[in-house]
Amino acid sequence: MDKILSLENIHFRYYPDDPNVLSNLSLEIPAGKVTAILGPNGTGKTTLLHILLGLLKPLEGVVKVSGKSHKGYSRRELSQMIGLVPQFESIPFNFSVFEYVLLGRSPYLKPLQLPGSEDVRITEEALLAAGIDHLRNKPVNEISGGERQLVHISRVLTQQTQILLLDEPTAHLDLENQNRILSLLKQMSSLGNTAVLTTHDPNAAIFAADYFVLMNRGKIAAQGNLDTVITAENLSMIYRTPIRVEHTNGYTMVVMDKH
Amino acid sequence: MRKENISRTLLLLGLGVLVVLLGSVFIGRYPEPYWLPPKLLGEDQLARQLVLNLRLPRLLTALLLGMILSAAGSILQMIFRNPLVEPGFLGVSQGAAFGAAVSILWLGSHPLTIELTATFFGLLGLGLSYLISTRIRYGGWVLRLVLSGVAVSALFSAGVGILKYIADPLTELPELTFWLLGGLYSVTWRDFLYVLPFALAGIFTVYAMRWRVNLLSLNDDTAFSLGASLTRERIILLTVTISATAALTAISGVIGWVGLIVPHISRRLFGASAEKSIPAAMLLGGAFTMIADDLARTLLPGEIPLGILTSAIGAILFIYLMINIGIKVRRDG
Repeated sequence: MDKILSLENIHFRYYPDDPNVLSNLSLEIPAGKVTAILGPNGTGKTTLLHILLGLLKPLEGVVKVSGKSHKGYSRRELSQMIGLVPQFESIPFNFSVFEYVLLGRSPYLKPLQLPGSEDVRITEEALLAAGIDHLRNKPVNEISGGERQLVHISRVLTQQTQILLLDEPTAHLDLENQNRILSLLKQMSSLGNTAVLTTHDPNAAIFAADYFVLMNRGKIAAQGNLDTVITAENLSMIYRTPIRVEHTNGYTMVVMDKH
Repeated sequence: MRKENISRTLLLLGLGVLVVLLGSVFIGRYPEPYWLPPKLLGEDQLARQLVLNLRLPRLLTALLLGMILSAAGSILQMIFRNPLVEPGFLGVSQGAAFGAAVSILWLGSHPLTIELTATFFGLLGLGLSYLISTRIRYGGWVLRLVLSGVAVSALFSAGVGILKYIADPLTELPELTFWLLGGLYSVTWRDFLYVLPFALAGIFTVYAMRWRVNLLSLNDDTAFSLGASLTRERIILLTVTISATAALTAISGVIGWVGLIVPHISRRLFGASAEKSIPAAMLLGGAFTMIADDLARTLLPGEIPLGILTSAIGAILFIYLMINIGIKVRRDG
Protein backbone atom coordinates (compact mmCIF):
# COMPACT_ATOMS: atom_id res chain seq x y z
CA MET A 1 0.00 0.00 0.00
CA ASP A 2 1.48 3.36 -1.09
CA LYS A 3 1.56 6.00 1.60
CA ILE A 4 1.06 9.50 0.29
CA LEU A 5 0.68 11.31 3.62
CA SER A 6 2.13 10.33 6.93
CA LEU A 7 2.28 11.76 10.43
CA GLU A 8 5.00 10.60 12.80
CA ASN A 9 4.72 11.16 16.57
CA ILE A 10 2.80 14.40 16.31
CA HIS A 11 2.24 16.51 19.41
CA PHE A 12 0.19 19.69 19.16
CA ARG A 13 -1.39 22.30 21.39
CA TYR A 14 -2.74 25.77 20.56
CA TYR A 15 -1.20 27.70 23.48
CA PRO A 16 1.93 26.82 25.48
CA ASP A 17 0.13 26.24 28.79
CA ASP A 18 -2.87 24.41 27.30
CA PRO A 19 -3.13 20.62 27.36
CA ASN A 20 -2.21 18.77 24.16
CA VAL A 21 -4.90 18.54 21.48
CA LEU A 22 -2.96 15.79 19.72
CA SER A 23 -0.52 13.53 21.57
CA ASN A 24 2.00 11.20 20.03
CA LEU A 25 -0.14 10.67 16.97
CA SER A 26 1.12 8.57 14.08
CA LEU A 27 -0.89 7.93 10.96
CA GLU A 28 -0.46 6.78 7.39
CA ILE A 29 -2.84 7.69 4.59
CA PRO A 30 -2.97 5.33 1.59
CA ALA A 31 -2.63 6.87 -1.88
CA GLY A 32 -5.55 6.78 -4.31
CA LYS A 33 -8.12 5.85 -1.66
CA VAL A 34 -10.77 7.55 0.43
CA THR A 35 -9.74 7.68 4.08
CA ALA A 36 -12.29 8.57 6.75
CA ILE A 37 -11.17 10.06 10.04
CA LEU A 38 -13.93 9.21 12.43
CA GLY A 39 -14.50 10.36 15.95
CA PRO A 40 -16.73 12.30 18.30
CA ASN A 41 -16.99 16.12 18.19
CA GLY A 42 -14.03 17.95 19.67
CA THR A 43 -11.56 15.12 19.40
CA GLY A 44 -9.02 16.97 17.23
CA LYS A 45 -10.12 15.94 13.72
CA THR A 46 -10.03 19.47 12.29
CA THR A 47 -6.70 20.14 14.01
CA LEU A 48 -5.37 17.00 12.38
CA LEU A 49 -6.49 18.17 8.92
CA HIS A 50 -4.91 21.58 9.50
CA ILE A 51 -1.64 19.86 10.39
CA LEU A 52 -1.81 17.69 7.25
CA LEU A 53 -2.40 20.90 5.27
CA GLY A 54 0.56 22.67 6.87
CA LEU A 55 -1.55 25.49 8.33
CA LEU A 56 -0.66 24.39 11.85
CA LYS A 57 2.89 23.37 12.71
CA PRO A 58 3.21 20.45 15.13
CA LEU A 59 5.08 21.02 18.35
CA GLU A 60 6.95 17.77 17.77
CA GLY A 61 6.87 15.20 15.02
CA VAL A 62 7.08 15.14 11.23
CA VAL A 63 4.47 15.48 8.50
CA LYS A 64 5.48 13.86 5.23
CA VAL A 65 3.98 14.20 1.77
CA SER A 66 5.12 11.53 -0.71
CA GLY A 67 7.87 10.58 1.71
CA LYS A 68 9.30 14.08 2.02
CA SER A 69 8.81 16.42 5.00
CA HIS A 70 6.43 19.39 4.62
CA LYS A 71 9.41 21.64 5.22
CA GLY A 72 10.98 20.43 1.97
CA TYR A 73 8.20 22.04 -0.06
CA SER A 74 7.43 25.69 -0.78
CA ARG A 75 3.97 27.07 0.02
CA ARG A 76 3.21 27.10 -3.67
CA GLU A 77 4.28 23.49 -4.18
CA LEU A 78 2.16 22.34 -1.24
CA SER A 79 -0.88 24.23 -2.51
CA GLN A 80 -0.50 22.42 -5.83
CA MET A 81 -0.55 19.06 -3.99
CA ILE A 82 -3.06 19.44 -1.16
CA GLY A 83 -6.51 21.04 -1.38
CA LEU A 84 -8.96 21.73 1.45
CA VAL A 85 -12.71 21.94 1.82
CA PRO A 86 -13.15 23.42 5.30
CA GLN A 87 -16.05 22.69 7.58
CA PHE A 88 -17.28 26.25 7.69
CA GLU A 89 -16.58 28.59 4.87
CA SER A 90 -18.25 31.93 5.29
CA ILE A 91 -17.93 34.06 2.17
CA PRO A 92 -18.66 37.63 3.21
CA PHE A 93 -18.80 38.95 -0.33
CA ASN A 94 -21.29 37.58 -2.78
CA PHE A 95 -19.01 36.17 -5.49
CA SER A 96 -20.67 34.37 -8.36
CA VAL A 97 -20.16 30.61 -8.30
CA PHE A 98 -17.83 30.93 -11.28
CA GLU A 99 -15.69 33.70 -9.72
CA TYR A 100 -15.39 31.70 -6.51
CA VAL A 101 -14.47 28.40 -8.18
CA LEU A 102 -11.91 30.20 -10.36
CA LEU A 103 -10.01 31.13 -7.16
CA GLY A 104 -8.93 27.47 -7.02
CA ARG A 105 -6.46 28.28 -9.80
CA SER A 106 -4.38 30.61 -7.64
CA PRO A 107 -1.65 28.05 -6.77
CA TYR A 108 -0.71 28.08 -10.45
CA LEU A 109 -0.66 31.86 -10.87
CA LYS A 110 2.17 34.21 -10.00
CA PRO A 111 1.28 36.78 -7.32
CA LEU A 112 0.32 39.50 -9.80
CA GLN A 113 -0.91 37.25 -12.58
CA LEU A 114 -4.58 37.19 -13.62
CA PRO A 115 -6.33 33.92 -14.56
CA GLY A 116 -6.20 33.20 -18.29
CA SER A 117 -8.27 31.22 -20.77
CA GLU A 118 -6.76 27.90 -19.64
CA ASP A 119 -7.82 28.65 -16.05
CA VAL A 120 -11.32 29.50 -17.26
CA ARG A 121 -11.48 26.20 -19.17
CA ILE A 122 -10.38 24.17 -16.13
CA THR A 123 -12.94 25.98 -13.99
CA GLU A 124 -15.71 25.20 -16.48
CA GLU A 125 -14.70 21.53 -16.47
CA ALA A 126 -14.78 21.41 -12.67
CA LEU A 127 -18.29 22.89 -12.62
CA LEU A 128 -19.40 20.25 -15.10
CA ALA A 129 -17.73 17.45 -13.14
CA ALA A 130 -19.59 18.47 -9.99
CA GLY A 131 -22.82 18.84 -11.96
CA ILE A 132 -23.32 22.50 -11.08
CA ASP A 133 -22.60 24.15 -14.42
CA HIS A 134 -26.10 25.65 -14.39
CA LEU A 135 -25.24 27.60 -11.21
CA ARG A 136 -22.21 29.39 -12.62
CA ASN A 137 -23.66 32.90 -12.52
CA LYS A 138 -25.56 32.49 -9.24
CA PRO A 139 -24.26 34.31 -6.15
CA VAL A 140 -22.58 31.80 -3.80
CA ASN A 141 -24.60 33.00 -0.83
CA GLU A 142 -27.93 32.42 -2.54
CA ILE A 143 -27.74 28.69 -3.25
CA SER A 144 -28.68 25.70 -1.07
CA GLY A 145 -26.33 24.05 1.42
CA GLY A 146 -25.86 20.97 -0.77
CA GLU A 147 -25.13 23.08 -3.85
CA ARG A 148 -22.71 25.13 -1.83
CA GLN A 149 -20.75 22.07 -0.75
CA LEU A 150 -20.53 21.07 -4.43
CA VAL A 151 -19.23 24.57 -5.18
CA HIS A 152 -16.47 24.13 -2.57
CA ILE A 153 -15.57 20.77 -4.08
CA SER A 154 -15.46 22.31 -7.57
CA ARG A 155 -13.03 24.88 -6.25
CA VAL A 156 -10.76 22.09 -5.01
CA LEU A 157 -11.13 20.34 -8.36
CA THR A 158 -9.80 23.39 -10.20
CA GLN A 159 -6.86 23.30 -7.82
CA GLN A 160 -5.96 19.94 -9.42
CA THR A 161 -4.35 18.54 -6.30
CA GLN A 162 -3.50 14.89 -5.83
CA ILE A 163 -4.69 15.08 -2.22
CA LEU A 164 -8.07 16.42 -1.04
CA LEU A 165 -8.79 17.14 2.61
CA LEU A 166 -12.48 17.52 3.47
CA ASP A 167 -13.64 18.58 6.91
CA GLU A 168 -17.09 17.16 7.69
CA PRO A 169 -18.18 17.41 4.03
CA THR A 170 -21.60 15.87 4.68
CA ALA A 171 -22.55 17.50 7.97
CA HIS A 172 -25.84 19.43 7.67
CA LEU A 173 -26.69 17.80 4.33
CA ASP A 174 -29.78 15.72 3.55
CA LEU A 175 -29.39 12.15 2.33
CA GLU A 176 -29.61 13.00 -1.36
CA ASN A 177 -26.85 15.59 -1.06
CA GLN A 178 -24.72 13.32 1.15
CA ASN A 179 -24.98 10.72 -1.59
CA ARG A 180 -23.98 13.25 -4.28
CA ILE A 181 -20.92 14.47 -2.35
CA LEU A 182 -19.69 11.05 -1.24
CA SER A 183 -20.23 9.50 -4.68
CA LEU A 184 -18.26 12.33 -6.22
CA LEU A 185 -15.41 11.60 -3.79
CA LYS A 186 -15.45 7.91 -4.64
CA GLN A 187 -15.39 8.75 -8.32
CA MET A 188 -12.40 11.03 -7.80
CA SER A 189 -10.48 8.38 -5.88
CA SER A 190 -11.16 5.93 -8.72
CA LEU A 191 -9.38 8.46 -10.94
CA GLY A 192 -6.34 8.28 -8.67
CA ASN A 193 -6.96 11.09 -6.18
CA THR A 194 -6.45 10.64 -2.48
CA ALA A 195 -9.27 11.95 -0.30
CA VAL A 196 -9.18 12.39 3.47
CA LEU A 197 -12.48 13.27 5.07
CA THR A 198 -13.41 13.79 8.67
CA THR A 199 -16.83 12.89 9.91
CA HIS A 200 -18.62 12.13 13.15
CA ASP A 201 -21.10 9.94 11.25
CA PRO A 202 -19.89 6.30 10.93
CA ASN A 203 -22.43 5.50 8.21
CA ALA A 204 -21.20 8.30 5.95
CA ALA A 205 -17.66 6.97 6.47
CA ILE A 206 -18.72 3.41 5.63
CA PHE A 207 -20.48 4.61 2.47
CA ALA A 208 -17.46 6.42 1.06
CA ALA A 209 -14.22 5.21 2.60
CA ASP A 210 -11.73 2.43 1.89
CA TYR A 211 -9.60 3.12 4.94
CA PHE A 212 -10.71 4.09 8.44
CA VAL A 213 -9.06 5.98 11.25
CA LEU A 214 -10.77 6.20 14.63
CA MET A 215 -9.79 9.15 16.79
CA ASN A 216 -10.44 9.58 20.46
CA ARG A 217 -9.26 12.43 22.66
CA GLY A 218 -6.38 13.46 20.41
CA LYS A 219 -5.12 9.94 19.87
CA ILE A 220 -5.60 7.26 17.24
CA ALA A 221 -7.83 4.52 18.68
CA ALA A 222 -7.67 2.27 15.62
CA GLN A 223 -6.80 2.38 11.93
CA GLY A 224 -7.26 -0.09 9.10
CA ASN A 225 -10.00 -1.49 6.87
CA LEU A 226 -13.73 -1.63 7.55
CA ASP A 227 -13.88 -4.96 9.37
CA THR A 228 -11.05 -4.29 11.78
CA VAL A 229 -11.97 -0.70 12.69
CA ILE A 230 -15.76 -0.44 12.51
CA THR A 231 -16.65 -2.77 15.37
CA ALA A 232 -19.29 -2.37 18.05
CA GLU A 233 -16.62 -2.43 20.70
CA ASN A 234 -14.47 0.33 19.14
CA LEU A 235 -17.41 2.61 18.35
CA SER A 236 -19.15 2.13 21.71
CA MET A 237 -15.90 3.06 23.40
CA ILE A 238 -15.13 6.27 21.49
CA TYR A 239 -18.72 7.55 21.28
CA ARG A 240 -19.35 6.55 24.91
CA THR A 241 -22.75 5.15 24.03
CA PRO A 242 -23.90 1.59 23.23
CA ILE A 243 -23.58 1.00 19.48
CA ARG A 244 -24.37 -2.03 17.30
CA VAL A 245 -22.79 -2.85 13.94
CA GLU A 246 -25.21 -4.69 11.60
CA HIS A 247 -24.31 -6.58 8.46
CA THR A 248 -27.16 -6.92 5.97
CA ASN A 249 -26.77 -8.12 2.38
CA GLY A 250 -23.05 -7.53 2.55
CA TYR A 251 -23.53 -3.92 3.71
CA THR A 252 -22.37 -2.67 7.11
CA MET A 253 -24.51 -0.30 9.11
CA VAL A 254 -23.99 1.37 12.45
CA VAL A 255 -26.96 1.92 14.75
CA MET A 256 -27.40 3.19 18.29
CA ASP A 257 -28.38 0.38 20.59
CA LYS A 258 -31.71 0.75 22.37
CA HIS A 259 -31.72 -0.69 25.85
CA MET B 1 -14.33 37.44 -23.25
CA ARG B 2 -14.20 37.82 -19.46
CA LYS B 3 -11.20 40.15 -19.73
CA GLU B 4 -12.61 42.26 -22.56
CA ASN B 5 -15.72 42.80 -20.53
CA ILE B 6 -13.76 44.01 -17.53
CA SER B 7 -11.48 46.31 -19.50
CA ARG B 8 -14.41 47.84 -21.38
CA THR B 9 -16.23 48.70 -18.15
CA LEU B 10 -13.10 50.21 -16.62
CA LEU B 11 -12.32 52.16 -19.77
CA LEU B 12 -15.80 53.69 -19.78
CA LEU B 13 -15.54 54.53 -16.08
CA GLY B 14 -12.11 56.08 -16.67
CA LEU B 15 -13.57 58.28 -19.40
CA GLY B 16 -16.33 59.29 -17.00
CA VAL B 17 -13.74 60.33 -14.41
CA LEU B 18 -11.93 62.37 -17.05
CA VAL B 19 -15.17 64.15 -17.98
CA VAL B 20 -15.83 64.97 -14.31
CA LEU B 21 -12.26 66.24 -13.94
CA LEU B 22 -12.43 68.47 -17.03
CA GLY B 23 -15.92 69.73 -16.17
CA SER B 24 -14.89 70.50 -12.59
CA VAL B 25 -12.13 72.80 -13.82
CA PHE B 26 -14.84 75.21 -14.96
CA ILE B 27 -17.12 74.86 -11.93
CA GLY B 28 -16.69 77.47 -9.22
CA ARG B 29 -17.65 80.95 -8.14
CA TYR B 30 -15.39 82.99 -10.41
CA PRO B 31 -16.09 85.24 -12.16
CA GLU B 32 -19.66 84.54 -11.03
CA PRO B 33 -21.24 81.55 -9.31
CA TYR B 34 -21.21 78.08 -10.81
CA TRP B 35 -19.53 78.32 -14.20
CA LEU B 36 -16.38 79.73 -15.72
CA PRO B 37 -16.80 79.98 -19.52
CA PRO B 38 -13.82 78.15 -21.12
CA LYS B 39 -13.12 81.00 -23.52
CA LEU B 40 -12.35 83.23 -20.54
CA LEU B 41 -9.12 81.24 -20.02
CA GLY B 42 -7.64 82.91 -23.09
CA GLU B 43 -8.73 86.40 -22.06
CA ASP B 44 -8.58 86.62 -18.28
CA GLN B 45 -5.19 86.39 -16.61
CA LEU B 46 -6.76 85.83 -13.18
CA ALA B 47 -9.00 83.01 -14.46
CA ARG B 48 -5.96 81.28 -15.91
CA GLN B 49 -4.06 81.66 -12.62
CA LEU B 50 -7.06 80.39 -10.69
CA VAL B 51 -7.47 77.29 -12.82
CA LEU B 52 -3.79 76.43 -13.04
CA ASN B 53 -2.66 77.15 -9.50
CA LEU B 54 -5.76 76.60 -7.37
CA ARG B 55 -8.37 74.45 -9.08
CA LEU B 56 -6.14 71.93 -10.86
CA PRO B 57 -4.00 70.87 -7.87
CA ARG B 58 -7.12 70.80 -5.73
CA LEU B 59 -9.07 68.67 -8.22
CA LEU B 60 -6.21 66.27 -8.76
CA THR B 61 -5.80 65.91 -4.99
CA ALA B 62 -9.56 65.26 -4.66
CA LEU B 63 -9.20 62.59 -7.34
CA LEU B 64 -6.32 60.90 -5.50
CA LEU B 65 -8.12 61.23 -2.18
CA GLY B 66 -11.25 59.55 -3.51
CA MET B 67 -9.26 56.81 -5.22
CA ILE B 68 -7.19 56.08 -2.12
CA LEU B 69 -10.06 56.19 0.38
CA SER B 70 -12.05 53.81 -1.83
CA ALA B 71 -9.07 51.53 -2.43
CA ALA B 72 -8.27 51.46 1.29
CA GLY B 73 -11.94 50.86 2.14
CA SER B 74 -12.22 48.00 -0.35
CA ILE B 75 -8.97 46.43 0.82
CA LEU B 76 -9.86 46.70 4.52
CA GLN B 77 -13.33 45.27 3.86
CA MET B 78 -11.82 42.31 2.01
CA ILE B 79 -9.04 41.67 4.51
CA PHE B 80 -11.29 42.03 7.54
CA ARG B 81 -14.03 40.06 5.81
CA ASN B 82 -16.47 42.72 6.89
CA PRO B 83 -18.37 45.01 4.51
CA LEU B 84 -18.82 47.65 7.22
CA VAL B 85 -15.17 48.58 7.70
CA GLU B 86 -13.52 51.75 6.46
CA PRO B 87 -10.12 53.47 6.74
CA GLY B 88 -11.23 55.28 9.92
CA PHE B 89 -10.69 51.90 11.42
CA LEU B 90 -7.48 50.74 13.07
CA GLY B 91 -6.66 54.08 14.61
CA VAL B 92 -5.42 55.60 11.36
CA SER B 93 -7.76 58.58 10.94
CA GLN B 94 -7.87 59.41 14.64
CA GLY B 95 -4.10 59.02 14.87
CA ALA B 96 -3.60 61.37 11.93
CA ALA B 97 -6.05 63.86 13.47
CA PHE B 98 -4.14 63.74 16.74
CA GLY B 99 -0.86 64.27 14.89
CA ALA B 100 -2.25 67.28 13.05
CA ALA B 101 -3.53 68.74 16.33
CA VAL B 102 -0.14 68.28 17.98
CA SER B 103 1.48 70.02 15.05
CA ILE B 104 -0.98 72.95 14.99
CA LEU B 105 -0.54 73.49 18.74
CA TRP B 106 3.16 73.01 19.26
CA LEU B 107 5.12 72.43 16.08
CA GLY B 108 3.67 75.25 14.05
CA SER B 109 1.03 75.04 11.36
CA HIS B 110 3.38 74.88 8.42
CA PRO B 111 1.62 72.48 6.02
CA LEU B 112 4.59 70.19 5.66
CA THR B 113 4.93 69.86 9.45
CA ILE B 114 1.23 69.02 9.76
CA GLU B 115 1.52 66.48 6.95
CA LEU B 116 4.52 64.72 8.38
CA THR B 117 3.20 64.62 11.96
CA ALA B 118 -0.23 63.44 10.81
CA THR B 119 1.28 60.71 8.64
CA PHE B 120 3.53 59.64 11.50
CA PHE B 121 0.70 59.41 14.02
CA GLY B 122 -1.61 57.73 11.48
CA LEU B 123 0.95 54.99 10.99
CA LEU B 124 1.58 54.90 14.74
CA GLY B 125 -2.15 54.27 15.21
CA LEU B 126 -1.95 51.31 12.83
CA GLY B 127 1.22 50.01 14.50
CA LEU B 128 -0.29 50.25 17.98
CA SER B 129 -3.50 48.53 16.87
CA TYR B 130 -1.44 45.74 15.38
CA LEU B 131 0.88 45.36 18.39
CA ILE B 132 -1.98 45.26 20.87
CA SER B 133 -3.85 42.74 18.73
CA THR B 134 -0.91 40.33 18.87
CA ARG B 135 -1.10 40.42 22.66
CA ILE B 136 -4.80 39.57 22.88
CA ARG B 137 -5.20 35.86 23.56
CA TYR B 138 -8.72 35.17 22.38
CA GLY B 139 -10.67 35.53 19.16
CA GLY B 140 -9.56 35.31 15.56
CA TRP B 141 -7.22 37.69 13.79
CA VAL B 142 -10.04 39.96 12.64
CA LEU B 143 -11.74 40.31 16.01
CA ARG B 144 -8.45 41.06 17.77
CA LEU B 145 -7.51 43.82 15.31
CA VAL B 146 -11.01 45.30 15.42
CA LEU B 147 -10.96 45.43 19.21
CA SER B 148 -7.53 47.00 19.45
CA GLY B 149 -8.37 49.40 16.57
CA VAL B 150 -11.44 50.61 18.44
CA ALA B 151 -9.42 51.13 21.63
CA VAL B 152 -6.55 52.94 19.90
CA SER B 153 -8.98 55.20 17.99
CA ALA B 154 -10.72 56.07 21.25
CA LEU B 155 -7.40 56.94 22.89
CA PHE B 156 -6.38 59.22 20.05
CA SER B 157 -9.77 60.86 19.88
CA ALA B 158 -9.62 61.52 23.64
CA GLY B 159 -6.20 63.05 22.94
CA VAL B 160 -7.71 65.28 20.24
CA GLY B 161 -10.39 66.32 22.73
CA ILE B 162 -7.79 67.35 25.29
CA LEU B 163 -5.82 69.31 22.69
CA LYS B 164 -8.98 71.12 21.56
CA TYR B 165 -9.69 71.97 25.18
CA ILE B 166 -6.28 73.51 25.76
CA ALA B 167 -5.99 75.15 22.31
CA ASP B 168 -6.08 78.95 22.16
CA PRO B 169 -9.71 79.68 21.15
CA LEU B 170 -8.73 82.71 19.09
CA THR B 171 -5.77 81.44 17.10
CA GLU B 172 -5.35 77.69 17.25
CA LEU B 173 -8.85 76.31 17.80
CA PRO B 174 -10.43 77.57 14.53
CA GLU B 175 -7.62 76.14 12.45
CA LEU B 176 -7.75 72.84 14.32
CA THR B 177 -11.53 72.61 14.01
CA PHE B 178 -11.53 73.34 10.30
CA TRP B 179 -8.81 70.78 9.74
CA LEU B 180 -10.78 68.18 11.68
CA LEU B 181 -13.91 68.88 9.62
CA GLY B 182 -11.92 68.12 6.51
CA GLY B 183 -11.42 70.07 3.31
CA LEU B 184 -9.15 70.74 0.38
CA TYR B 185 -9.44 74.53 0.49
CA SER B 186 -5.73 75.22 0.88
CA VAL B 187 -4.25 72.56 -1.39
CA THR B 188 -1.32 73.68 -3.52
CA TRP B 189 0.84 71.95 -6.14
CA ARG B 190 3.36 71.31 -3.36
CA ASP B 191 0.77 69.40 -1.31
CA PHE B 192 -0.24 67.44 -4.38
CA LEU B 193 3.36 66.47 -5.11
CA TYR B 194 3.83 65.46 -1.47
CA VAL B 195 0.96 62.93 -1.56
CA LEU B 196 1.52 61.78 -5.16
CA PRO B 197 4.16 59.09 -4.45
CA PHE B 198 2.15 57.60 -1.55
CA ALA B 199 -1.02 57.65 -3.63
CA LEU B 200 0.57 56.14 -6.73
CA ALA B 201 2.20 53.38 -4.66
CA GLY B 202 -1.20 52.57 -3.15
CA ILE B 203 -3.11 52.69 -6.42
CA PHE B 204 -0.62 50.60 -8.38
CA THR B 205 -0.13 47.95 -5.68
CA VAL B 206 -3.86 47.53 -5.16
CA TYR B 207 -4.47 47.45 -8.92
CA ALA B 208 -1.72 44.90 -9.47
CA MET B 209 -3.05 42.62 -6.72
CA ARG B 210 -6.71 43.09 -7.65
CA TRP B 211 -7.46 39.42 -8.35
CA ARG B 212 -5.35 38.05 -5.53
CA VAL B 213 -7.15 40.20 -2.94
CA ASN B 214 -10.16 37.91 -3.37
CA LEU B 215 -8.21 35.11 -1.67
CA LEU B 216 -7.73 37.22 1.44
CA SER B 217 -11.50 37.51 1.92
CA LEU B 218 -11.82 33.73 2.30
CA ASN B 219 -11.39 31.81 5.55
CA ASP B 220 -7.78 31.64 6.73
CA ASP B 221 -7.59 27.88 6.16
CA THR B 222 -9.03 28.09 2.64
CA ALA B 223 -6.80 31.01 1.66
CA PHE B 224 -3.78 29.15 3.04
CA SER B 225 -4.69 25.99 1.13
CA LEU B 226 -4.82 28.09 -2.05
CA GLY B 227 -1.22 29.17 -1.55
CA ALA B 228 -1.78 32.68 -0.18
CA SER B 229 0.99 33.95 2.12
CA LEU B 230 -1.57 35.53 4.40
CA THR B 231 0.59 37.58 6.73
CA ARG B 232 2.86 38.93 4.02
CA GLU B 233 0.09 39.83 1.59
CA ARG B 234 -2.01 41.46 4.30
CA ILE B 235 0.93 43.51 5.53
CA ILE B 236 1.84 44.69 2.02
CA LEU B 237 -1.72 45.76 1.24
CA LEU B 238 -2.36 47.35 4.63
CA THR B 239 0.92 49.27 4.57
CA VAL B 240 0.47 50.80 1.12
CA THR B 241 -3.19 51.71 1.55
CA ILE B 242 -2.89 52.97 5.11
CA SER B 243 0.22 55.07 4.49
CA ALA B 244 -1.46 56.61 1.44
CA THR B 245 -4.58 57.28 3.52
CA ALA B 246 -2.51 58.87 6.28
CA ALA B 247 -0.61 61.07 3.80
CA LEU B 248 -3.82 62.27 2.16
CA THR B 249 -5.61 62.72 5.49
CA ALA B 250 -2.73 64.96 6.49
CA ILE B 251 -3.67 67.51 3.82
CA SER B 252 -7.42 66.93 3.61
CA GLY B 253 -8.37 66.41 7.24
CA VAL B 254 -10.76 63.62 8.19
CA ILE B 255 -12.96 62.75 5.21
CA GLY B 256 -15.50 60.13 6.26
CA TRP B 257 -17.81 57.72 4.48
CA VAL B 258 -16.15 57.66 1.05
CA GLY B 259 -14.19 54.52 1.96
CA LEU B 260 -17.32 52.84 3.27
CA ILE B 261 -19.96 53.70 0.71
CA VAL B 262 -18.03 53.68 -2.58
CA PRO B 263 -16.82 50.05 -2.32
CA HIS B 264 -20.43 49.07 -1.57
CA ILE B 265 -21.76 50.82 -4.64
CA SER B 266 -18.98 49.35 -6.75
CA ARG B 267 -19.78 45.80 -5.64
CA ARG B 268 -23.48 46.43 -6.33
CA LEU B 269 -22.73 47.62 -9.84
CA PHE B 270 -19.83 45.40 -10.86
CA GLY B 271 -20.06 42.26 -8.72
CA ALA B 272 -18.16 41.06 -5.70
CA SER B 273 -14.94 39.94 -7.37
CA ALA B 274 -12.24 42.45 -6.50
CA GLU B 275 -10.71 42.06 -9.95
CA LYS B 276 -13.38 44.39 -11.27
CA SER B 277 -14.92 45.98 -8.19
CA ILE B 278 -11.70 47.44 -6.74
CA PRO B 279 -10.46 49.30 -9.85
CA ALA B 280 -14.05 50.43 -10.41
CA ALA B 281 -14.31 51.58 -6.78
CA MET B 282 -11.14 53.67 -7.19
CA LEU B 283 -12.55 55.40 -10.27
CA LEU B 284 -16.00 55.90 -8.72
CA GLY B 285 -14.38 57.21 -5.52
CA GLY B 286 -12.27 59.69 -7.50
CA ALA B 287 -15.33 61.01 -9.33
CA PHE B 288 -17.43 61.07 -6.14
CA THR B 289 -14.86 63.09 -4.22
CA MET B 290 -14.29 65.56 -7.07
CA ILE B 291 -18.04 66.14 -7.35
CA ALA B 292 -18.38 66.52 -3.56
CA ASP B 293 -15.52 69.02 -3.62
CA ASP B 294 -17.17 70.93 -6.49
CA LEU B 295 -20.22 71.28 -4.26
CA ALA B 296 -18.07 72.21 -1.28
CA ARG B 297 -16.54 75.20 -3.01
CA THR B 298 -19.51 76.26 -5.13
CA LEU B 299 -22.78 75.91 -3.21
CA LEU B 300 -22.25 78.73 -0.72
CA PRO B 301 -20.21 81.93 -0.90
CA GLY B 302 -18.03 80.47 1.85
CA GLU B 303 -16.42 77.03 1.72
CA ILE B 304 -18.40 74.06 3.10
CA PRO B 305 -15.98 71.59 4.76
CA LEU B 306 -15.66 68.61 2.43
CA GLY B 307 -15.87 66.10 5.31
CA ILE B 308 -19.35 67.37 6.19
CA LEU B 309 -20.53 66.97 2.59
CA THR B 310 -19.10 63.48 2.07
CA SER B 311 -20.60 62.37 5.38
CA ALA B 312 -24.00 63.79 4.51
CA ILE B 313 -24.10 62.39 0.96
CA GLY B 314 -22.53 59.10 2.06
CA ALA B 315 -24.95 58.57 4.93
CA ILE B 316 -27.97 59.35 2.74
CA LEU B 317 -26.76 56.92 0.07
CA PHE B 318 -26.11 54.33 2.75
CA ILE B 319 -29.62 54.64 4.18
CA TYR B 320 -31.04 54.43 0.66
CA LEU B 321 -29.03 51.28 -0.10
CA MET B 322 -30.02 49.64 3.19
CA ILE B 323 -33.71 50.31 2.80
CA ASN B 324 -34.15 49.79 -0.92
CA ILE B 325 -31.65 47.16 -1.84
CA GLY B 326 -30.55 45.69 1.44
CA ILE B 327 -26.91 45.47 2.39
CA LYS B 328 -26.19 41.87 3.05
CA VAL B 329 -23.94 41.22 5.99
CA ARG B 330 -23.15 37.60 6.57
CA ARG B 331 -21.66 36.65 9.87
CA ASP B 332 -22.06 32.92 9.85
CA GLY B 333 -18.55 31.63 10.38
